[in-house]
Amino acid sequence: DWVERDVVPLVDPEARAHVYNLVSAVGGAGDDGGYALGDDALACLKDLKRWLQFFENKLNRRDVARCMAEANLVKGDLLPILAKISDKVTTDKLKHRIAIACLELLVPLTWPTEIDPSSATVNHHRHGPYLQLAQIGYKRGVLQYDAAKILQTTVRIALPSMLEPRKERTVRDEAIIRIVLYFVRNIVMLSQPKGLPADGDEAEISRSAAIDACHSQDIFQMLLTISSSMGDEFVLQDVVVLEILFHLVKGVDAEKLFMEEKKLSTKNTEELKDLIQKEKAMLAGYARHAPTRHNRFGTMIWVKRDDERVSTISGQDVLGKAQVSMQKMDKTKKWNKPRNRGPRKDDEASREEFDLPVPLTSSGRKHLKAFVEDFLDSSFNPLFIHLRRAIEREEERVESRHSRQYFYLISWFLRAECARRRQIKEKFAKSNDPTAITAEDESFGLIAGVMNQETFILLNRFMQRSMDEKTWQDLNAGMKCFTQILHTVQEMSEAALEEDQEIAENIQNRIFYEESTHERIIAILRGYKDQGFGYLDACTELSHVFLRMLERYSKQNLDLQVRSRRRARKKRKVPVQPEEGEENRDDAVVSENEELQEAQRTTSERKFDFARFAAKFMNQSCVNTFVSFTRFYNDLNVEQLKRAHRFFYKVAFKVDMSVFLYRVDILQLFNKMIKGPEGLDPDLPAFKEWEEFVKHFFRTAVKKIQERPELVVEMLFSKINATTYYLQHGYDKEVVTRT
Amino acid sequence: NAASADAAIDEEIKIVKKRQPIPKLDAPLLLSPAGIPKLRRISKDRLKFKGKGHEYSDVARLLNTYQLWLDDLYPRAKFADALTIIEKLGHSKQIQMMRKVWIEEGKPKATAESDEDI
Repeated sequence: DWVERDVVPLVDPEARAHVYNLVSAVGGAGDDGGYALGDDALACLKDLKRWLQFFENKLNRRDVARCMAEANLVKGDLLPILAKISDKVTTDKLKHRIAIACLELLVPLTWPTEIDPSSATVNHHRHGPYLQLAQIGYKRGVLQYDAAKILQTTVRIALPSMLEPRKERTVRDEAIIRIVLYFVRNIVMLSQPKGLPADGDEAEISRSAAIDACHSQDIFQMLLTISSSMGDEFVLQDVVVLEILFHLVKGVDAEKLFMEEKKLSTKNTEELKDLIQKEKAMLAGYARHAPTRHNRFGTMIWVKRDDERVSTISGQDVLGKAQVSMQKMDKTKKWNKPRNRGPRKDDEASREEFDLPVPLTSSGRKHLKAFVEDFLDSSFNPLFIHLRRAIEREEERVESRHSRQYFYLISWFLRAECARRRQIKEKFAKSNDPTAITAEDESFGLIAGVMNQETFILLNRFMQRSMDEKTWQDLNAGMKCFTQILHTVQEMSEAALEEDQEIAENIQNRIFYEESTHERIIAILRGYKDQGFGYLDACTELSHVFLRMLERYSKQNLDLQVRSRRRARKKRKVPVQPEEGEENRDDAVVSENEELQEAQRTTSERKFDFARFAAKFMNQSCVNTFVSFTRFYNDLNVEQLKRAHRFFYKVAFKVDMSVFLYRVDILQLFNKMIKGPEGLDPDLPAFKEWEEFVKHFFRTAVKKIQERPELVVEMLFSKINATTYYLQHGYDKEVVTRT
Repeated sequence: NAASADAAIDEEIKIVKKRQPIPKLDAPLLLSPAGIPKLRRISKDRLKFKGKGHEYSDVARLLNTYQLWLDDLYPRAKFADALTIIEKLGHSKQIQMMRKVWIEEGKPKATAESDEDI
């Protein structure tokens, strides 16, 4: 059976024959050992492009791309051609056309492949992995090409069109600029696909390698040129530039980027030290429970249970340690609760989007830092204002992923700007230079383009929509952006300039004015369910930061007003009976009802009560979210541990609703964190305060159980509204009946 | 036709053995005498706390009580799994009703009133 199936060729033989013919006719090694173009090279390249277009797209197959990969078209022909004509691209018309033809092949070949389940055929799945690996090969070829700078050559191709004033540019000019930008995007974006073997050195195709190439081949210059004159000389290129920026910086730690070399290396050493320490603690934890004799020593113990029964456990590690034997009894059970099936939400692909940290080499760091500084100084405002307008207008070129990338980039650049300002401040503080003021003088104007009401409105809408549509990755980006805006406003309000402080005050007022924003933060925190760690981190951080800033702000401004929108109570009005036909009347009633509802959505201003608002965070769902977050305790950093600690502390002792924490699984988690095995590292600075808290909390819990034995049963469950108050206080809430 | 009918008769009747149903950790089991009633009993009889200075050992004792109780009730599941299942059961109407009843029983005021009635 398998023999017959084998006979069916992998690729359409006719297509293969044609493509191979064309590829060999493009050119080859010449007499002088260099590359020689074929007689009809341009026509061949165009033919190849037609094959890609018509055969692939029309029949929805990937055969031609596969043939081209097998025939080594990119490394064997396209790159050598580009290298050969690199110098004369701008002067020689024919060479220019050949170069464009090469690019027109390179762009679809390097286009990131995503297998779209709605249109994919067997064919796509068959060729997918091969093509993905081939694309990595292309990227390596482009970045590591010795004879010439390929990326620079492509910029040269676009130069004449870019120099043309926008009004005089032809459609073809615009297309050339676009194709070059897309080529750069593809090269930056391609990354080693997960689950496929890597051939060759991964450092050659890493982010750092791409950044180095962008630096040495003037891609950064081009990006700066385009984005700084975004809006007047360039219009349609905004989203492509956005994508290039996104794929350049995603996952890079903006704080570290602006650290000084010396400080960074000490920081890195510290991190290494911490890691080694962590590993040591972990191994010590294992060693404490490891057997002291060989593995066939054959110890067996009884655990006495009630009713004269016993359980047996084998292994000497449990000797004399009651707690360990209990754990071992549990561990040896074979059955596992079936996890919820269905598509996993926390798959690698969605994490990869931007929650995966990317390390940089020192040269990559240096070049990216220089670029980011230039970008902030010259291009941030024009590009981001322009993009915001494009997204607001829902321009055709804007796709759904672009809003996500837009908000992620805002958060990234705001963070970078804050880090840079801090660095400058430190530098001047050290040097005691009187010119320090001028450096600080450079106010937050550089990022003013995103700190305005329009952006806040767009962001609010975006967060609300992604929440409604359950597009969690989008919401994740929105939350990161909002958190960073809050941080930035905070830094502004502490700035030296009075003007900055005023602006910050104003912005805070606007952010905190809408009650719907407050409600949304709570709803996000409450609504967490399996969206993955990156999301969990973002939503807990957002609510933490939001609460903190709001508290500070409402303390300073005692008469903070919020605008709340709510539906007024329906006044039943007797609908006027119209005389027309039945259907018409129904329609009229429906539309009238809608109008009424719309009209009854009243807005009112009322005084903001922080205590009441904060109390809304203290409920079972929010506690559950933070418990899920804390379950990752061994992977959390100091700041994250602190965040969880503050929250639980508030719940238990500040608002006195510790009853939400009285649940066996939560007690077990806390117990495990402190007492192990596999608990928190006791040498960690955060350990001390966690231990204090847990101890204190356990004491009150035990006391409460003794006071109210019915808690023993309630500890198994999440609390229900009807009984929570009684369980906490020992008496029922007095219900004030309103008249 | 006749031949095929014969063949059909001759065919052995296959007896499909029904699989033993796997016991489930569900509301009836939880409300059975070995379930929460037993937990209430043992917690009352046996759970003694030492109080201040012994926070961790007190909680460990409490956790062990739960673990052993669950191991008796539903030996299949690991402790954490069983807790998740039970927590989920707690959202059902039936269990919620019982929970309220148990709490009412504990309320000091309610007992005082019923005493007066008697």
